[in-house]
Amino acid sequence: MKLSIAKNDLLRPLNRVIGAVERRNTLPVLGTVLFQLNQGLLELTTTDTEIELKDSVQVDADFDFEWTLPARKLFDILRSLPDDSTVNISLAETKATVQAGRAKFTLSMLSAADFPKTDSVGASTRFDIVQEDLKRLFSRVDFSMAQQDVRYYLNGLLLEIEGDVLAAVSTDGHRLSYAKHQLPAMVAEAKQVIIPNKGVRELIRLMDDPATSAQISLSDQHIQMRSGSLCFTSKLIDGKFPDYRRVMPLDNDRIGTVDRNALLAALNRVQILSNEKFNGVRLQFAGDQLSVQANNPEQEQAEDAVELNYSGEALEIGFNIRYIIDVLKVIQSETVEFKLGDSNASVLVLPPGVDDVKFVVMPIRL
Amino acid sequence: MPIQQLPDHLVNQIAAGEVIERPSSVVKELVENSVDAGATDIRVDIEQGGVKRITVTDNGCGIPADQLTLALTRHATSKISSLDDLQYVASMGFRGEALPSIASVAMLTLTSRAEGADQAFEVHAKHGNLSDIRPAALAAGTRIDVADLFFNVPARRKFMKTERTEFQQIDQMLKRTALAFPHIAVSLRHNGKVSWQLPAANTQSLVQQRLKKLLGDVFVDNAEQISVDTNGLKIEGWLAQPAFSRSQADMQYFFVNGRAVRDKVIQHAVKRAYADVLYHDRHPAFVLSLGIDPAEVDVNVHPAKAEVRFRRSSDVHQFIYGSVHRAVAEFKPGGADVSSPGFMRSTVEQPSSPMQERFDTPPGNHGEQTGSTASSWGRPPLSSQLDLRQVNEAMPALYGGMPSAPLADAPSVATDPEDIARSAPQSHPLGYAVAQLHGVFVLAQNEQGMVIVDMHAAHERITYERLKSQWSEARVISQPLLMPELIHVAESEANAVEQFDQWSPLGFEVDRSGLSSVKVRAVPAVLAKGSIEGLLRDVIADIVELDASDRVEQRIDELLSTMACHGSVRANRKLGIDEMNQLLRDMEHTERSSQCNHGRPTWVQLSMHQLDGLFNRGK
Ligand SMILES: Nc1ncnc2c1ncn2[C@@H]1O[C@H](COP(=O)(O)OP(=O)(O)O)[C@@H](O)[C@H]1O
Ligand SMILES: [Mg+2]
Repeated sequence: MKLSIAKNDLLRPLNRVIGAVERRNTLPVLGTVLFQLNQGLLELTTTDTEIELKDSVQVDADFDFEWTLPARKLFDILRSLPDDSTVNISLAETKATVQAGRAKFTLSMLSAADFPKTDSVGASTRFDIVQEDLKRLFSRVDFSMAQQDVRYYLNGLLLEIEGDVLAAVSTDGHRLSYAKHQLPAMVAEAKQVIIPNKGVRELIRLMDDPATSAQISLSDQHIQMRSGSLCFTSKLIDGKFPDYRRVMPLDNDRIGTVDRNALLAALNRVQILSNEKFNGVRLQFAGDQLSVQANNPEQEQAEDAVELNYSGEALEIGFNIRYIIDVLKVIQSETVEFKLGDSNASVLVLPPGVDDVKFVVMPIRL
Repeated sequence: MPIQQLPDHLVNQIAAGEVIERPSSVVKELVENSVDAGATDIRVDIEQGGVKRITVTDNGCGIPADQLTLALTRHATSKISSLDDLQYVASMGFRGEALPSIASVAMLTLTSRAEGADQAFEVHAKHGNLSDIRPAALAAGTRIDVADLFFNVPARRKFMKTERTEFQQIDQMLKRTALAFPHIAVSLRHNGKVSWQLPAANTQSLVQQRLKKLLGDVFVDNAEQISVDTNGLKIEGWLAQPAFSRSQADMQYFFVNGRAVRDKVIQHAVKRAYADVLYHDRHPAFVLSLGIDPAEVDVNVHPAKAEVRFRRSSDVHQFIYGSVHRAVAEFKPGGADVSSPGFMRSTVEQPSSPMQERFDTPPGNHGEQTGSTASSWGRPPLSSQLDLRQVNEAMPALYGGMPSAPLADAPSVATDPEDIARSAPQSHPLGYAVAQLHGVFVLAQNEQGMVIVDMHAAHERITYERLKSQWSEARVISQPLLMPELIHVAESEANAVEQFDQWSPLGFEVDRSGLSSVKVRAVPAVLAKGSIEGLLRDVIADIVELDASDRVEQRIDELLSTMACHGSVRANRKLGIDEMNQLLRDMEHTERSSQCNHGRPTWVQLSMHQLDGLFNRGK
């Protein structure tokens, strides 16, 4: 059985699905990509049993067959070939030969029957969203997801649908990020799901075609995203995400506005001399100046200041500097607003005048 | 059966069941009585492991003839007279139970001549019946003779071990007493033969001799004296250098007001004080005596008085931890005996039992002795000069296998190190660098000979200690949580959480939130990244047990230790002579610098004498 395909026609779908393949695997078949050829449609599938990625490409072939190939090796081989190569794949019992020009690679195949298949997703909630919007929504909040926390339900992103509002929330227990997007139509059933870290990162990576629409389906166990030939499926985290609404500070009435880039630059400077383990920084809101100051265990100290628009009482408050920098990087607007309570209370950081994205950060007691 | 008052004899036998378990418990009670009587000489004579006969003779104050019978009567004691007194027990005995209990399970003869009396008297007890008082011969003090122990309690007799085992128990027990009271002469005979005898140790050198006899020369040669006295708490004794650690917690002697006790609080405090300089599975060796106001300690919690309860256990914990920790920190180059490699090998893995007399190591030279402290255990503080041990027998054996071929890389040699070393001031006990060997060791020359330093290990310790002092402020910085974390605990733990008032110095904010759950509102900022639940559970367990916890500190130290490891010079970094000398100077000024963060030694001394020995010179 022989198959001929242009290098880039094969690399493109493989590149999209490669993310599910872990570098180290206890189960050898998880290191492979499943090829399913059916009436000229070649479908590629990878999985780590949590996430499944599928993409397909039309090929010229007169037979139907299923086989596997080592995913990373095939990926590296294809990338190493000249762009205009034609790849010839011939399949025997247990070996496949990949040939391009005078280069020839013999790869071993594992049984396609052993490749784990995902159960079909009996979705109850569906909606459409353009890739660009979904990507923006996720990438505004993904940085504050917990990583390997024992509170497993924090190791992911909360996706919430209510009416025509789609919201994404993440928290690691010290800070919380919230973003929302207005859907063009009402969704019949309200729903909350938690997508695990890796699924979130893969989804963001896959959304590379801004204007294309994606269809999202949610069941109790899975989220599925279809867009063009691409199909992404991820298991959900089965747990109760904390009620983010109760975390939002409501009566922080001291409001300070600063230039986002100026503050970001100042923080990047003083960070050099902040404690490398908890990165403490002191922010002092007073009159028309926001001063930032950090010191390290060697008693070295850094100070900077930016212009501030502030009418509240002077306030000094400590933060993990990383937490503030993360937020300033994600916000796109020219200025940012700090809504402060007292020096022990959580702070709301957001672009002025909009409510589609907000960040809550807990101070530290310096 | 109608309720009836038990006959005295039976009551005594029941009490004996608690107090008198085996021959060594008889000896313990009798010897304690002698100590209480102010004796300065106690002789213990044993026959057949104590089952046949136990005789304890002392030169104490004695018992007046008219009180001899009383001494054998239950709950008769001259030591306390009211409950108030019980709060301030300073004596070893106080229950008035021992003599009648012993008399109920053996044949007992009590002979005594009270101070000032011109005649001794004796009384016999058999089956709980007392004989009349008769004149007897005894120059002074008291002799108690206990024969046929458990003759009327077959069940106990069955549980007796071999003569040898029972005697060993007595031997260990008596040695503990000898450790606790150096000023008392103690001797032990078994089946007519002298097993050992120790003269009263009223001078430094006699105390030292006694310790050597009881714990071995190596212990004494490698132990530092400690003596701290603050706010009514006093700790004295000997702490072994970390290199002299043991695989079992078998050389740990602790006395509270002279009483040998087992105590978790104390054990934990000492172990933690050494934690920074010992491998995980090694145990420190020490003899420590705590002096404390008798009102602050409850000795009446255990029939055999082997346990005590401190009224303010967290104060005691802190005091012991602090004192020992400081003392351990000061073990540094120029402090005590040098741990030569021969020493390391011959003692560290030593399997022998701790209390065995050992006469196989030649006595160490302890350098000049400067002024003495006024303690019963006083050994003069060691001079600040490097003090070299005599050549160790293990040395030739150890170095016999050294390759005789020349080294592949000739070490780079400094300019005339001889001159430098000769003019070396005393304040540089580690001497001056000569060369670096294979990128791993620094070779230095000091007055006594050669010093070999493990460069990475030494630098790691220096970096670690520096980080620890820099970080002392940052430790308590607290990161409040956005959402309090609910943790389920036992009810007793929730109680402890509620009562504990030292949360904020630990960087935590924790409240009780139900019968058996607590809410964490803030965590130490340095540790905020990892999972905090496990740490908090450990902290709570400590608090329940000890009313204090150093877990947070421990965890931060682990973190700093990792940082130190990454921030230290690695093997194969070529160091210039100046850099090497700086390393030696830093080591001299750094606490705990004789051990790396993992408890391994950072340097060893080879004396000229030892080097000569390698070449059979001067033999
Ligand atoms: N060796 C001794 N020298 C002087 N007095 C003694 C001696 N042994 C016992 N006594 C006296 O006998 C009493 C009873 O001893 P004991 O039964 O051991 O009770 P306790 O030691 O608890 O008081 C002691 O209080 C003490 O007055
Ligand atoms: Mg007694």
